[in-house]
Amino acid sequence: MNVHANESLTSGTHRQLVDVERGIVEREAFVSDQVFADEIKNIFQKKWIYLAHESEIPEAGNYVTRLLGDASVIIVRSAKGQFHGILNSCRHRGTELCRADAGRLKRFVCPYHGWSYEHDGKLISTAFDTHMPPDMDFSAWTLIRVPRLESYKGLIFGCWDKSVEDLAEYLGDFRFYLDAFAARTPEGMEVLAPPHRWRAKTNWKVGALNFLGDGQHLQFTHAGPLALDPVRAAKKGLAIRAAQSVQVIVDGRHGCNLNYLAPDLPAVEYETRPTELLPVYAQMLSPLQNRLLNDLRVGVGTIFPNLSFIESQVATRAKALILRQWQPISATEMEVLSWILAERESSADYKAQLVAKGIHNFGVAGVFEQDDMVLWQSGTSGSRSPISHSYPFSFMSALPFREHPLVDFYGPGRAYSQTLTEISQLEFMNTWQEQLRMHA
Amino acid sequence: MIHEHDSLELVPDSIYLSALRFLSKEGSLLDRRDYRGWLALLTDDIHYRVSAQINQDAAAGTKDYAIIDEDEGNLRARVEQIATPKLTHAENPPSLARRFFSSVNVEETEQSNEIIAYSNIMVFRSKPEIIDGGLYAGFREDLLRKVDGQWRLARRFVRLDHSTLYGCVSIIF
Repeated sequence: MNVHANESLTSGTHRQLVDVERGIVEREAFVSDQVFADEIKNIFQKKWIYLAHESEIPEAGNYVTRLLGDASVIIVRSAKGQFHGILNSCRHRGTELCRADAGRLKRFVCPYHGWSYEHDGKLISTAFDTHMPPDMDFSAWTLIRVPRLESYKGLIFGCWDKSVEDLAEYLGDFRFYLDAFAARTPEGMEVLAPPHRWRAKTNWKVGALNFLGDGQHLQFTHAGPLALDPVRAAKKGLAIRAAQSVQVIVDGRHGCNLNYLAPDLPAVEYETRPTELLPVYAQMLSPLQNRLLNDLRVGVGTIFPNLSFIESQVATRAKALILRQWQPISATEMEVLSWILAERESSADYKAQLVAKGIHNFGVAGVFEQDDMVLWQSGTSGSRSPISHSYPFSFMSALPFREHPLVDFYGPGRAYSQTLTEISQLEFMNTWQEQLRMHA
Repeated sequence: MIHEHDSLELVPDSIYLSALRFLSKEGSLLDRRDYRGWLALLTDDIHYRVSAQINQDAAAGTKDYAIIDEDEGNLRARVEQIATPKLTHAENPPSLARRFFSSVNVEETEQSNEIIAYSNIMVFRSKPEIIDGGLYAGFREDLLRKVDGQWRLARRFVRLDHSTLYGCVSIIF
């Protein structure tokens, strides 16, 4: 990779990878091992990172193992109903306490030598306590805890940096949008099945940026499913109400694209949200949030750094709310996790339908997903040679409209009436660069 | 949903052999990417489901989750997409794939015109971005129904022996 030894991003003397004025991003941002190492340190160990949904660990002792940056952590619900996050590594000789993806345990017992711990990481016994120095301080040998763990309306996030601002503050004004998708009924959402999990040879940011605000790729990358959508085929000139569609970016880091349907489209030809829940949304959400959801065709977005969501409010075959995480494995590899959510209050029948149909479009075998993966991987392959590293990526379609946000948009953040620009992607990369430089 | 077990009842050889012939023919159509030919072997009420597994405690048994769960309409759309060069990137250039099945077990059902065929399946596939190729392995439970004297596929459940998959699954098992 074309990174010079004296140009570590954390030394403060590195070269600029994101040029907002010219709308370009250096390829190294997406393929450099040094950049990746800096990201792990300065983003994935400093920012709130999504871990699990509360509904995945409903009972005391339930746990899942997930990645927090490059570290395997166990997220467990204790008997008191609290959540704990602990590094998946015994203090004795490092053995993973949980090698399964999920399960239920009363306490953690290391299989190697029997050290045992409570859910909160407190060391109970080394199994050979009488052989330990009499002055051994058990409290110094608790499991390594994730110092900050907070749940926002069912979404559990963790942070390795104990000085990070509160999660609610971190999500900030983006909560207006997030709530409309993930917290719109009193009982909240539940995850309907274990997550799809797959690896792809591309940088995690490629997925994060695509879901944040890439409207341009739809007609080219996804020509297949668009052509095969029966309602689209039947109605030539099916009008997306482009004038109402918006691209939103909040605090330069969280954002979404919202695409709307033409109002005269007969909704009966599409599957929509459960009609019995519509009045419930009206109670739970503000009038403006309800306005966001009315006639919404697709809402898709990303929360910095690597949590995304997508919901087709109306779809012929595959309506679902999908939560998505792009995990950093290496500069050129990511692991994707994909969950399907539904309102707890919806019927068992509806949920069963979602589990089947929600994965038709998005998931490890999704008909949209498969074309994304191939082309994203191709972007990484295409940047393998250092020869290509002298030629940056274009985010230039952000430039013409960037200084012209809507003045009277009803939601927070900056909104643009163009969903086909790269504004939010460029802002995200700018924030990314600032974050890398902050912790020199 | 899938029961792996040894069939206690031996079906007559003729039925076993005809099921083998069907699976060979059906697999061969997919290997050759004759998707029209393959779709013609399905019943209208086809249910096609592929699942992966999660890693969990041995005492907790098997837990699988669907990665594909299609009725006729969705399955047809999925196949149409990969069968049409202009409509797919994932399968253009196409996966070079070959299916190998073994350990076939056949059971009769309460319906005189239906049998269940269980098989182990392994699919090799290589792609431009996976030059050494890779293998999928799994267990299949197929419901075959005799229509106009020919077997047709009415149900296919495949449980893959994978928890984390690679790339995207764009082929038919």
